[in-house]
Amino acid sequence: MAEETDISGDTPEPPGGAVATEEESEQTPELAAGDPGEAGLALVHHAPEHTHPSPAKYVGIAIFLAIITALEVALYYITMPEWLVVVLLLILATMKFALVAGFFMHLKFDSPMLRRVFITGIILAGVVYSVALFTLRVLI
Amino acid sequence: MQAAIGHAPHTPAPGDHDYAVTGIDSRKLGMWGFLASECLFFGALISSHLLYRSRAPEGVHIPHDVYDIPYTSVSSFVLLMSSLTMVLALAAIQRNDHRRLRIWLLATAFLGTVFIGGQVYEFTVFTHEGLNLSSSVAASSFFVLTGFHGVHVTVGILWLLSLVGVSLRGKLPAEKHLQVEIAGLYWHFVDVVWILIFTVVYLVPNTH
Repeated sequence: MAEETDISGDTPEPPGGAVATEEESEQTPELAAGDPGEAGLALVHHAPEHTHPSPAKYVGIAIFLAIITALEVALYYITMPEWLVVVLLLILATMKFALVAGFFMHLKFDSPMLRRVFITGIILAGVVYSVALFTLRVLI
Repeated sequence: MQAAIGHAPHTPAPGDHDYAVTGIDSRKLGMWGFLASECLFFGALISSHLLYRSRAPEGVHIPHDVYDIPYTSVSSFVLLMSSLTMVLALAAIQRNDHRRLRIWLLATAFLGTVFIGGQVYEFTVFTHEGLNLSSSVAASSFFVLTGFHGVHVTVGILWLLSLVGVSLRGKLPAEKHLQVEIAGLYWHFVDVVWILIFTVVYLVPNTH
């Protein structure tokens, strides 16, 4: 990670560093070759529109997700009331879902409109199928 | 190590080909709309399985009888870790680090392939146990649900490999990071769907 390019908002903007257009960058040999070079750095040395977590934080979240998964599997083998197992499993699954959607899919950092679009789908699906499963006595 | 990673910025202005009045790139908004609709799609399949998961002729196994939880747990872990490699791929292109972008994309595709291989093996074992699409409604709803999920993962793998190819040809510069981000959204969604399937289908006790 030591050689990674710094693109945090602390980095000063290069002189005249407007963002290159797609057309310009496609004509830039350094970029085409995958070499950052000066032109490439100019593309990314700007204050970010949104701040995303660092790779270290992503790894931390993944470790936490793995621990939650291990807990879920442990619950499968532990003897306890069925309703309690179901409740705990659903809580843990919801936590994993929220962590992946919030951090890996960046819903926590992106536009609220994207959150609303996705949550609308989740709520719609949750309500429609919960009603169906309650009606058919699958739940309860 | 940096405290935070930022987007390679590009704020479209009126007249730009990617300008949108919402301020959000239409491709990204469209992908989120698609994922919202996929919630209903997979919700229908999961609900169907919950409804039918105990319905089988007498003497015929239901899927719950033959689950191998330790094996499926490892598969789930593999898919979960592929979400990590996917988000690291996005972070790499946002740093203009194309070598790491390709490494993480290939790692994600590899982990996805391991997951699919595991699913094929699981289906093979279940078939030997007498379960198939037509052996019972329970088996049918199980194979349709997990099969459709597997198809989604396969599409994701092909998508990732195509991105690697585009990157190798030098056609994926840093300001086109949105292409990786949108593929990542799809991949993470496939992961969260499996989080639900693993919990609701495999781990929740079936006492009916």
